[in-house]
Amino acid sequence: MSYTIALAGNPNCGKTTLFNGLTGSKQHVGNWPGVTVDKKEGSYKKDKEINILDLPGTYSLSPYSAEEIVARDHIVKEKPDAVINIVDGTSIERNLYLTMQVLETGVPTVIAMNMMDEVEKRGDFINCQKLSEILGVPVVPIVARTGKGLDALMEAVRQAASEEKRSGQLKVFGEEIEGAVEEIRKYLTEGTPEDQQWTAIKLLEGDEIILDSLRPEQADAVQDIVRKMDSRYNGDTEAAIADKRYQYIGHVVKKAVRRFQAGHTETKSDRLDKILTNRVLALPIFAVVMYILFAATFSENFLFIPGLPSPGVWLAGVVENAWGALTGLVEGGLTSLGASDWALGLVLSCMDGVGAVAGFLPLVLVLFLLLSFLEDSGYMARVAFVMDRIFRHFGLSGRSFIPLLMGFGCSVPALMASRTLENDKDRKITMMITPFMSCGAKLPIYLMFAVTLFAGTNKTFIVFGIYMIGLLVAVLSAFILGRLIKGDEISNFIMELPSYRVPTLKSVLIHAWEKVKGFAVKAGTIIFGSTVLIWLLSNFNGSGMCGMEDSFLASIGNAIKVIFIPLGFADWRASVGVVTGWIAKENIVATFGQLFGGVSDEVVEAVSAGEEALPAITSVFTPAAAWSYMAFNLLCMPCFAAVGAIKREMGSWKWTLRAIGYQMLTAYVVAFVIYHLFGLFY
Amino acid sequence: MALAMVAIGETRTIKELRVKEEMKRHLQDLGFTVGEKVHVVGENASGLILLVKGARIALNRGLATKISVA
Repeated sequence: MSYTIALAGNPNCGKTTLFNGLTGSKQHVGNWPGVTVDKKEGSYKKDKEINILDLPGTYSLSPYSAEEIVARDHIVKEKPDAVINIVDGTSIERNLYLTMQVLETGVPTVIAMNMMDEVEKRGDFINCQKLSEILGVPVVPIVARTGKGLDALMEAVRQAASEEKRSGQLKVFGEEIEGAVEEIRKYLTEGTPEDQQWTAIKLLEGDEIILDSLRPEQADAVQDIVRKMDSRYNGDTEAAIADKRYQYIGHVVKKAVRRFQAGHTETKSDRLDKILTNRVLALPIFAVVMYILFAATFSENFLFIPGLPSPGVWLAGVVENAWGALTGLVEGGLTSLGASDWALGLVLSCMDGVGAVAGFLPLVLVLFLLLSFLEDSGYMARVAFVMDRIFRHFGLSGRSFIPLLMGFGCSVPALMASRTLENDKDRKITMMITPFMSCGAKLPIYLMFAVTLFAGTNKTFIVFGIYMIGLLVAVLSAFILGRLIKGDEISNFIMELPSYRVPTLKSVLIHAWEKVKGFAVKAGTIIFGSTVLIWLLSNFNGSGMCGMEDSFLASIGNAIKVIFIPLGFADWRASVGVVTGWIAKENIVATFGQLFGGVSDEVVEAVSAGEEALPAITSVFTPAAAWSYMAFNLLCMPCFAAVGAIKREMGSWKWTLRAIGYQMLTAYVVAFVIYHLFGLFY
Repeated sequence: MALAMVAIGETRTIKELRVKEEMKRHLQDLGFTVGEKVHVVGENASGLILLVKGARIALNRGLATKISVA
């Protein structure tokens, strides 16, 4: 018998950890709310017939943000065979609030009482047997992090799902509200009695999504009843219902939970928060953390020690040398086999294209490792809070900070993370400016120019400068878009701060690897494919193989280059680079490697040695034009993968096109200004 | 008085939530109900850090001024 089991629980209650434990999969577990923004599927590792779904964390079945709708819709509409409701035993009252609502849906439920080790450590005691008796559903103590109790949990789940035992209705709300629920039910015709019961409660709570789904005459009748109740409860039936739930929980907890110490005792997290969210220290500490993050990735004088490469730069050098050696071997092998010139050209060209990207993977890996560490530790949630004050000046909430910071890694997950923003306007603006945060794939472009055209200048300065341009444009854009886009003003900031924890090496590695894998796969597929295409287009025209200047690609590039005259790089190769950048931004370097005659592994080697990589570039780009080109590629339409993410998250082509249009326009204007302004200095 | 005025280390009881419908619902989901105790554990330029029903919750000052406590 195959079953579908859904995992539901508050954000940060250990849901994804449990999911990984049950399925043996390696989903990333972050330590801030909103890591799981979409549902994830897997099968139970000890019984492949059991399908397990990880739903986004939610505090309630009355959705507040977009991700919470996913959880509610699944439980109520798609109806899993059973729900595992994970409850964080360390804040049991708050967690049981969702439990009450899950039980109201009538779906077969098993409660997994998580963090039992923490509970024990505090000297508290939770009587799961007693809880189970009161709530009428199995309650199984577990420790998701160590895997303790999972077998017992799944046994209970299997039973609950096979018996299709609806969780019984609890007497929570008292006669008056129950009466109104019954009355509303009379007007509901669709669904099972359990569905009607749940729908009626939600209607009484003033749920607009459900009210809108009713027929007009139904809605009128229901609203009459709600109004009657409102006048009974000081105009706020919803608060009364919430109150009744909490009262019930209070009564349950009194019977089943024994606390070692009443009230709050200061924890490690409290002490850390005193420093890390301190009124004076918070921002300087954050600035230092950011500096270390970037220095460890890019710096050639790490920790201010001249000549000491950062872990990122050092690793990049190792990979580049290895790839260079491999290319040499392949070249030697092919030549000795007597391969024809064009075959040799094609193979080497592709190896160069892929190698140009592979050489930068270590930098991306280090950046991701550090970002993962910050996410897993719980510090990110604090930064969002600390930054709220500053972001408010630009019309954004501190919550936007997390997607924006993730944007330095890769725009795609960053855009998805914007789903945690509850305010629609806030979310739209954040999505439009996230690609301005320079992603890992754009880094090679800057490094290429830095070593070729700006060999005299500090490389870190060039890279840092372009990142700052992105930030500045993002901030200004937030300000401008805030005035252009209609919608509610930024919402208030409210966010749960998870306890700090030391991330396990395993979880950080898994997290970073998941992301880097994406880059590596891209290097082997999209980048490889487009290098082949570019090689063909740049070596052929209608009448066969030809010189590059007469190729198809040159014709294409020549046709569009006029657009870029005002920006200072009206060259067909530079124009082609912009276009290949839309396939993937790393492509730009691979394209340059092919079109400017340099062999890209030489480019890469030269980059690590700090030498001029592609001397041919100097004939096309003045320093001012190089800045203009870097800025244009940073700000213009992101890669297609990111555009796809914008479309998914915006949910409309209109807004997707607006976002792209805004980015294109901004890129053009900024590049124009930079070209002419910098031209005065160089 | 407003929650925003409460000093660090103090515990107060929520009297009223003077916010829009949606925010009120969210606050209730997070454990902020009338009669519930809140303990202020920290504050900075952004707002306050509170303990409510055993969970640590950060909120901005604007929101904290709309929650009355006694």
